[in-house]
Amino acid sequence: MAGEDRSTTLEVDHLGIAFGAGAAEHAVLRDVTFRLGRNEILGIVGETGAGKSVLAQALVGLLPGDGRVVQGEIRVNGRPLAAMNERDRRQLRGGAISLIGTSAKTLLDPVETVGRQIARVLRAHRPCGRRAAWRQTVQLLGDVGIIDSEQRARAYPHELSGGMAQRVVIAMALIARPDIILADDATLGLDATVQVQVLDLLVARSRERGVSVILITHDLGIVAHYCDRVAIMRAGRIEELQAVQGFLAQPGTAYSESLLGAARARPVPADHLSTATQRLGDAGEAVAPRGETLLVVENLQKLFAAGAAQPPLRAVDGVSFSLARGETLALVGESGSGKTTIGQCLLRLLTATAGGMRFDGIDIAALTERQFRPLRQRMQMVFQEPYVALNPRWRVCDLISEPLRLLEPVSRRDRQARVNELLDLVQLPRRLAEAYPHQLTAGEQKRIGIARALATRPDFVVFDEPTTALDIRVRAQIIDLIRSLQVRTGLSALFITHDLNSVRSLAHNVIVLNRGQIVERGETETIFARPQHAYTRLLLTAELPIEWSASRRSGTPVPVLTAERGASARR
Amino acid sequence: MRRCLARPAAVIGLALLALLAVAIVFADLLAPYSPIMADPLHSLESPSSLHLLGTDVSGMDVLSRIIFATRINLLVGIVSVAGAFLVGVPIGLLTGFYRGFVSALVMRLFDFIQSFPVFVLGMALVSVLGQEIWNVALVLAVLFVPLFARLVRAEVLSLRERPFISAARCSGASDLAVMVRHLLPNALTPALVQLSISVGMAILLTAGLSFIGAGVRMPTPEWGLMVSSGAQQMILGVWWVSLFPGIAIVIAVLCFALLGDEMRRLLDPTRHRR
Repeated sequence: MAGEDRSTTLEVDHLGIAFGAGAAEHAVLRDVTFRLGRNEILGIVGETGAGKSVLAQALVGLLPGDGRVVQGEIRVNGRPLAAMNERDRRQLRGGAISLIGTSAKTLLDPVETVGRQIARVLRAHRPCGRRAAWRQTVQLLGDVGIIDSEQRARAYPHELSGGMAQRVVIAMALIARPDIILADDATLGLDATVQVQVLDLLVARSRERGVSVILITHDLGIVAHYCDRVAIMRAGRIEELQAVQGFLAQPGTAYSESLLGAARARPVPADHLSTATQRLGDAGEAVAPRGETLLVVENLQKLFAAGAAQPPLRAVDGVSFSLARGETLALVGESGSGKTTIGQCLLRLLTATAGGMRFDGIDIAALTERQFRPLRQRMQMVFQEPYVALNPRWRVCDLISEPLRLLEPVSRRDRQARVNELLDLVQLPRRLAEAYPHQLTAGEQKRIGIARALATRPDFVVFDEPTTALDIRVRAQIIDLIRSLQVRTGLSALFITHDLNSVRSLAHNVIVLNRGQIVERGETETIFARPQHAYTRLLLTAELPIEWSASRRSGTPVPVLTAERGASARR
Repeated sequence: MRRCLARPAAVIGLALLALLAVAIVFADLLAPYSPIMADPLHSLESPSSLHLLGTDVSGMDVLSRIIFATRINLLVGIVSVAGAFLVGVPIGLLTGFYRGFVSALVMRLFDFIQSFPVFVLGMALVSVLGQEIWNVALVLAVLFVPLFARLVRAEVLSLRERPFISAARCSGASDLAVMVRHLLPNALTPALVQLSISVGMAILLTAGLSFIGAGVRMPTPEWGLMVSSGAQQMILGVWWVSLFPGIAIVIAVLCFALLGDEMRRLLDPTRHRR
């Protein structure tokens, strides 16, 4: 590293990795070269299939199957990995390099207390007595922000929340005082607020201890806020490697440029009704319905039984709102805030405990399933996880035409035409009509889900987390697709998400939910610029947009001033 | 061809199935003697050019009896399992989908059936109904119904919580449509795999029931009965009467077990790639 005098802990030289043998051999990594300095935080970004995870596995010498190094080498603290025997490699893993994977809960052994699991890692790498190891474990658990660590160390993994389990895994990675920590999508699937806590903590502890970190992610926001340098991977190569500041200001390749463009928020969608009607009230008050009111929800309540002798869980607790034709309303909140439950109650996938729901003047709460069925033609839902919401044994054309077949009397030929029309609408090639869901990419599956929901030309669609767990560019494509549908079809939509960035691009109005109750509501711009409620501010603090990386987080978990966020949010 | 040879289990399974099929179709041509004609003058003869696999205590040709028994054993196995499948699958689908009082009652009934040792239940039922070949098939079917129903029910229980079922409801699918068009095709795989393995099990059970005297009676050619009839002479060095039908049972059971494994692979929906 020119101009930097840190010592190098990890060197990767022209690394090439291939799977398969003979004619079936295919390269997964090609000519990957980079150096990692002591106490440096390097972000590795790439889309699905770029080879990020294979790189991580290669660095700890754990390539799956018949994967092998075909070119170049990896040196840890100057020692080539290839020259090590199995014993040395065991010492290396967890000792010099530790790996933090996605979904901490599945990384922990369910039949052992977390404290003992951590202590075992320490004793495998450093000479240390049982008692001393336990003491260090408890102390470290405290350091990673686990309250009551003495007692928590005796907990089993299933007793911990996702964020807590992720902290335990971080403690496990830190305990043997490694030189390098590899975090492979370590915060994927966590709530945004928990994600920043976990990342703040990982970065702070690593900085203190002089540990180098490689953050593998597909979220450029994480890179902008936590990393010193960034490597952009594509199809097994590093396309670009430079300091984060420079990268954000002036990306070196067209590909990086497109990634950055995709990660940026779009302007709040134009509202074709807003000009015609008067708006009432300030951000704190109820949003005045614009145009004709389509949907009214009054005091909706949904309780779940939590077992005998316990009070029922109040998933949705007295929620009221209304939605005008052509309006997109976002329901925002962390997991467990009841936002998905509201959507499911509206579509009668769950039966509401109490409260009224009127759709275009019809009281849908009072209808039986049979009476409600004709209404399904007008009310549809796009499901969260694209793959599991599609019957794996059906072809795409059958999946898309199912609502048509069941809800609308359409002839076979018209149906075929409609399927093609819908495929065009969601910008998928028509040849995919014969494919099965598992043959599609996540983005294509998501589009099929949207096409299915739009098949009967509904008035109202619930989008449940349409942008989560997608690659940067695919996510941007889905956002653009929904935006174009808003304009072209005048869609009324309920948009359920925890991805604030996409709210900005898609919703006219926002409702913030916490524990089943509405804490704040208002127009999208207002909420982002001047949040009133503390919980809304907390949510906004957790957001990592690439736009204001200039005010980079310092690695210590200090919440950034809301005013500053608001200002940058409108930039 | 190379892809086939890469799966020796499938090849062996199919070859054995072909062998069994030939025995069933061409029994009259292949068998050198009548399977039920006693010939006391030639009882317990060891294998020779005249009687390739020897004769039993009544002087009946062991080879001929093994060939003809294939018909009875496979027929009983296939009919009983097919019956159990046709009854068990809808029960599993319904009890998995509607989890009410009736559903719970049916499951307890299955617990009751399955808590009996198979042979005790088999003996009791056959002795009540009569030692007829069709009664044996009926008893086996009753024993296998809970097996299929439980497999399908377990699948339905996990599938019904999957989002694609909710998605189907949003598309306007009724209960029946959800069950028949969405749940059934996805829930059937384990039951279909079990189908083949169960035929093997049924053959084994038929033979077992006959062996302990609760199945068919002499002189019906049946593998279990043949093993049993030779059992007393085993210690006298007369090994052929029991051994060869035993091998026939092994071949049949192995054949269906291997085919079951292959079926599991073929039914995996993620098998065909783009």
